[in-house]
Amino acid sequence: MNTHAIELTTRDGEQLRFECATDQNLLEAAADAHIVLPAQCGQGSCGTCYADVTHGDFTLGKHNPAALPVDDEAKGGTLLCCTFPQSDLRISLPFDHDRILIGEIKVRNAEITAVDSVGENTLRLELRLAPDEDDGSVAEFEPGQFMELEVPGQDIKRAYSLANTGNWEGRLEFLIRLQPGGLFSTWLREQAAVGQTLIVHGPKGAFGLHESGLRPRWFVAGGTGLAPMMSMLRRMAEFQEPHPARLYFGANRAEDLFCQTELEALQAELPQLQVIYCVWKPEDNWLGFSGTPVDALAQDLAGAVVLPDIYLCGPPALIDAAEAAARAKGVPDQQVLSERFLPTV
Amino acid sequence: MFCYQCEQTDRSNADSGCATAKGMCGKDATTSDLQDLLIHGVKGIAQYAKRARALNAPDNAAGEFMLYAMFTTLTNVNFNATRFVTLIQEAAQVRDRVKASYITAALTSGLTPEQLTGPAAWQPAADMDGMLKQAADVGINAGLDQVGADIIGLRSLVLYGLKGVCAYAHHAYVLGGESDTVYAGIEDALDFLSNDPTDAEALLNQSMALGTLNLEVMALLDEANTGTFGAQQPTQVRITPIKGKAILVSGHDLGDLAALLEQTKDTGINIYTHGEMLPAHAYPKLKAYPHLVGNYGGAWQDQQKEFAAFPGAILMTSNCIIEPQAQYRQRIFTAGPVGWPGVRHISDKNFAPLIQAASALPGFKEDVSEKVVTVGFGRDAVLGVADKVIDAVKSGAIKHFFLVGGCDGAAPGRNYYTEFAEQAPQDTVVMTLGCAKYRFNQHDFGDIGGIPRLLDLGQCNDSYSAIKIATALAGAFECGVNELPLSLVVSWFEQKAAAVLLTLLALGIRNIRLGPTLPAFLTPNLVQVLVDKYGLLPITTAQADIEASLTRKAA
Repeated sequence: MNTHAIELTTRDGEQLRFECATDQNLLEAAADAHIVLPAQCGQGSCGTCYADVTHGDFTLGKHNPAALPVDDEAKGGTLLCCTFPQSDLRISLPFDHDRILIGEIKVRNAEITAVDSVGENTLRLELRLAPDEDDGSVAEFEPGQFMELEVPGQDIKRAYSLANTGNWEGRLEFLIRLQPGGLFSTWLREQAAVGQTLIVHGPKGAFGLHESGLRPRWFVAGGTGLAPMMSMLRRMAEFQEPHPARLYFGANRAEDLFCQTELEALQAELPQLQVIYCVWKPEDNWLGFSGTPVDALAQDLAGAVVLPDIYLCGPPALIDAAEAAARAKGVPDQQVLSERFLPTV
Repeated sequence: MFCYQCEQTDRSNADSGCATAKGMCGKDATTSDLQDLLIHGVKGIAQYAKRARALNAPDNAAGEFMLYAMFTTLTNVNFNATRFVTLIQEAAQVRDRVKASYITAALTSGLTPEQLTGPAAWQPAADMDGMLKQAADVGINAGLDQVGADIIGLRSLVLYGLKGVCAYAHHAYVLGGESDTVYAGIEDALDFLSNDPTDAEALLNQSMALGTLNLEVMALLDEANTGTFGAQQPTQVRITPIKGKAILVSGHDLGDLAALLEQTKDTGINIYTHGEMLPAHAYPKLKAYPHLVGNYGGAWQDQQKEFAAFPGAILMTSNCIIEPQAQYRQRIFTAGPVGWPGVRHISDKNFAPLIQAASALPGFKEDVSEKVVTVGFGRDAVLGVADKVIDAVKSGAIKHFFLVGGCDGAAPGRNYYTEFAEQAPQDTVVMTLGCAKYRFNQHDFGDIGGIPRLLDLGQCNDSYSAIKIATALAGAFECGVNELPLSLVVSWFEQKAAAVLLTLLALGIRNIRLGPTLPAFLTPNLVQVLVDKYGLLPITTAQADIEASLTRKAA
């Protein structure tokens, strides 16, 4: 079997190399070389392993078009999990070297310590990692990363963004939208209880804070896309980072918004944080912004003196619309960072 | 970016220096450019501070800011662009304060205040993009086309030497050691640079003045270290782990280590030193803590592997950090001038989060069989047995002394230092300091009539000890240091070493062998000047250099 030399260059200029056979996808070949790249579904449906091929030929396997917008594909964009090399490749990765794990992804047990409803179809799930020989009781992850949660003995595994920050008590916090008919959602709704054990894989993912001086940071979240934003904002509060910060948090109806108490607590610790609640279909008595968070973003970008770094998380439609709004206002592509939430049933 | 301040600078092109998106050290172009702009801002402070001091209105708080700000720009210290934006803004505020007190002092004395230009008149841009535009005009290479590479190289020698002086002065400052003459000397040098000097002779003289100033700084630091923690004593240090929870402390700041030792008393957490913290075990007031159990790992360049394997929390003080890997990024903390984006920083010596992390991490599962090295041969320990040493020289038992020390690094050429120390003949004594010692400090050197053949003088910060020992021996033999049977074999990596080199040259010490490569900022013309005027020697091979040292009658 032919193999090709693959050269990866991270956003911060580090290079990594490995070999990949023509019938193997790049993600697996990298993992074989102990280079664990940010990825999630491994089957072309989530978009987490997006990268740009700058040189060389490849074939792209079956994938979800929502995970790889055509504009990106046209300029060499690909999903590493379904990319098969036809020549040597040079690839540009949209994240820094520190998001690549050299080694293996950790798999640990965690106990459910809380499972609370925070909205009609939204749960807050809190886990505590079981202390183990190699990792003690620490929960180590970067804000913006996710974990895959697995129900032991059942073939149910789903990825969710973490909403808290790394800590030494082993706490993991998730905000989970219950999908109608979803396997994990059904399990959560019907069977999950405090004291049960889950298997957690991770942390994974490259979404997270990007250091760019004191440029303002605007966070745009739809629904449970709030989780990684909470994590990043909590990190900013913990480090007392001075960047101006705004959170645009949107839902269809006012009663679908959640975590207002937590966000108020966050504002107390991070006084420069402005929170803009956006409701698409408000009642008459709604006092916040009426419209989507993208509408609010576009409106504020028009008056922005300094173009901010924009962090996006939510369903693909929200991200596509926000990216279009940012481009229209002249925000450079490298200042727009996103994580797409694609439902898996 | 353009940066050629350290030994590992990119030499792949005809013009040496890191000039792409990221330097060899991992510093990105944004951070590098912001560092250049911060230095510009600090020069502006010094322009006014020097004049205010001359009018009896010194501002030592501004001096302390200058030390800290300059320290953050050394190699492997601070990589956080956000931190530099804040420091640049602060530099302008400090400058405005000093300017105001200068104007008041001048008017009070009946003088017309000078209208200063250059950095003194600079105003920081409102945001980072604007600052990066400003930085483009004040980089290290600014004016290259007009003044040529030799003058840029000499300015760099002054600037990099000054960075080292500031770093050492900051080390002294955090332990309570301050001096008006040191602040004045630093202000003079920065003010000198603010005029974009073009006279080679004046630049060389300024370099030597900095060398002389650095001797005073090293003395201040020596006094701060020994005054706070007692004089170093010869001490055996365990270099293998023992079972239990653990914290690893790296960098050079003994004050941070002392605070951590106090805060971890009776917690059951063991403290290990890493890299340049090794000499801490020799200080009476530090080694009095029983939970300062040993040393772990080697020199700074191995930290990524060593920290990833360390099963506890890690504290990086003062300098020598390289990119924290994902495996330990959440459990490494920085203190003092050090910084890395996304890594927790402790600025107030409250190490509670570090201790909490160490408690949650597993620690070492087992004891590893004991191995030790011996440290603690500072000037007091060596000069305490001076009679014995002098007798051994007179009887011919000791034929020669080598000082093999300085920084370590990853370059393959650094094997020279391992070979040099290990191949030095049995009737010679090898003194060492800095982290270059890790290349040979586990080798069994034996002793000469009870005097160990390997004497570990301490950190690079303890270069003062080496100078005191050499001066004392010269006194005992009634000769100059250059006439002693002593050869200096110096390994450099960054700007602290540049400052120490200037001190040695300013003292008139000749035949210093410098490697593994010569600084990229020294052009062939400048190297020739240092060779001709100061007897500086580039290294060749260990064997040839040992032979040449031993056959030398006198320098």
